[in-house]
Amino acid sequence: MVTPIGDTPQENFEAMKSGKSGVSKIAGSGFNDEDWPLSKIKHLEEENRYQALLKRTCSQLLKAYGQELFQSEKTLIIISSTKADIDSFPEDTFSSTRSIINELLTPVNTPVIISNACISGVLAINTAVDYLNDEKYTNVIAIGIDALSDFIVYGFQSLFALSDAPSRPFDKNRKGISIGEAGGAIMVSKERPSEMFSVEYLGGSSSNDANHISGPSRTGEGLFRSINLSAERAGINLKELDFISAHGTGTLYNDEMESIAFDRLGLNKIPLNSLKGYFGHTLGAAGIIELLATMLMMEHKLLLKSPGFEEQGTSCNINVLKENTESEAQLVLKTASGFGGGNASIILRK
Amino acid sequence: MRILGTCKIAESGVFVNGLARQFEVNEDWKKDLYASLNIEYPKFYKMDALAKMAFLGVELLESSCNFDDYSENEIALIFANRYSSYDTDQRFIESYTEKGSPGPSLFVYTLPNILTGELAIRKKWYGENIFFINEKFDAQFFIDQINFYFRKGSKACLCGWVDSANNQEECFLFLVENSIDEISIEELIKSYKQ
Amino acid sequence: MSDLKETLKEQIIEQLNLEDLTPADIQNEAPLFGEGLGLDSIDALEFIVLLEQNYNIKISDPSEGKEIFQSVDSLAAYIEKHQ
Repeated sequence: MVTPIGDTPQENFEAMKSGKSGVSKIAGSGFNDEDWPLSKIKHLEEENRYQALLKRTCSQLLKAYGQELFQSEKTLIIISSTKADIDSFPEDTFSSTRSIINELLTPVNTPVIISNACISGVLAINTAVDYLNDEKYTNVIAIGIDALSDFIVYGFQSLFALSDAPSRPFDKNRKGISIGEAGGAIMVSKERPSEMFSVEYLGGSSSNDANHISGPSRTGEGLFRSINLSAERAGINLKELDFISAHGTGTLYNDEMESIAFDRLGLNKIPLNSLKGYFGHTLGAAGIIELLATMLMMEHKLLLKSPGFEEQGTSCNINVLKENTESEAQLVLKTASGFGGGNASIILRK
Repeated sequence: MRILGTCKIAESGVFVNGLARQFEVNEDWKKDLYASLNIEYPKFYKMDALAKMAFLGVELLESSCNFDDYSENEIALIFANRYSSYDTDQRFIESYTEKGSPGPSLFVYTLPNILTGELAIRKKWYGENIFFINEKFDAQFFIDQINFYFRKGSKACLCGWVDSANNQEECFLFLVENSIDEISIEELIKSYKQ
Repeated sequence: MSDLKETLKEQIIEQLNLEDLTPADIQNEAPLFGEGLGLDSIDALEFIVLLEQNYNIKISDPSEGKEIFQSVDSLAAYIEKHQ
């Protein structure tokens, strides 16, 4: 888990616990040289940033699991990214991803790449489980990664979606997104490993809003449907949820949409946070690193506050965490929504 | 599983269920094909090449496939290509390097899955969506994915390989229904190679 | 001023990819948003780009656009005033 606030899951958790954020003003990062607040990994070289981030993520993986795991024919790698190497290789944005993975992790099976906007990470975990259920693999490693680039920053700037102060998901004074960069990976296995913390995947799904390619649905339709379907697949009653790790980008319309979907599902009282205040919005990495952070919260029995949230800023009441809260959360929901009208969700149990 | 229809559009022509349509694939082919189908959907003009191709492919498939047989949640959209949103990426880069300011609608289309969003909007499909980046069209890969989505409860899968890069455009769509039949990979590859 | 309006119509059609329309389809006083041409929030941002690229006018808050982009008339008046 490589983010601006840590190089390992443990480092990241400690940093989040102490309220540290990766978001800070980056001089001249805007199209007109504005100093946008971004969540930038400071010690990463500027040239070939994406490649450097992917290499570092791979080397963390090798440290944690050893080379052998990746060389097994029973192992599959799934990569989730929105723009991959758009800065250095705009003519074939995913080619360096393949070559770096092949060189460093030397897998037997061709990696699967998912590029489905901001729900890519959650879809990668759902797809990992699909492959495991198919019996061909015993381990699937889902890697989520996106790096900062002019392309992405200028793009969100052109949409007037960037916040001039660090983003404040669900808050009354939220003004937009803080873009971030990160790499992270989750191992999805048939069997619960004894040597490390793990959670059980109960169910997941996706659903399209069928409404607009960039504007969130006014009724939260796709998110509503996806959460219902995930609960059905998980065989649980949503009322039993202990915690929600929401998407919460910090834009007016996205956060409002999420609050409407949660309200329609009667989830108003369930403790909830958005981790974008710690990491920024890391696009294709978001689903993966936020799930990792959620698992860390479950392991440490501590639900982390939603940074930047002070006052209810959505039309529907939801229970956004203002303080770190001790909790034995057992049943947890993770959601994501993105451009193209996509929504995805996962239900986990400790 | 059973293939209910295929549609291939490439330089070689337009084929629906293997049959060539009277149509010349020239530089303006997407606009011409749209005009020939007599559809009223002004949003079409705003779409990028990928979304336009997928849109036209679905309209052509409708001549033999009745999408209304499935409810709004039952069709999964499984798409893939090699070059992601290459064409629009280039145009977006051009907007801020040469034209003076980054173009917001171009930026939105710099994600390949926008095309599944456009199809969902057009058809009011709320089902599952996923977009993969593969080195080449891989029939077995699609069949694996289709099996996953049938196992999860989708009744039909609309699959597509839609790519546009380096002056090459291709669009191959096929609709698959859940049934006990087995589909032949060779048949699928043959339809793709048309 | 009427030249400016005609030019604007052509620029609107090009910038917003309204290929099914001709300048004659856009009335000077008719609302551009809402029922009018079926434009949405991204189109509003494209108007900002149009002003920036063609008239060197910068709008830093999209909410200012609401009044400016009401019609071709209001858009032309704004350009005249700010150029």
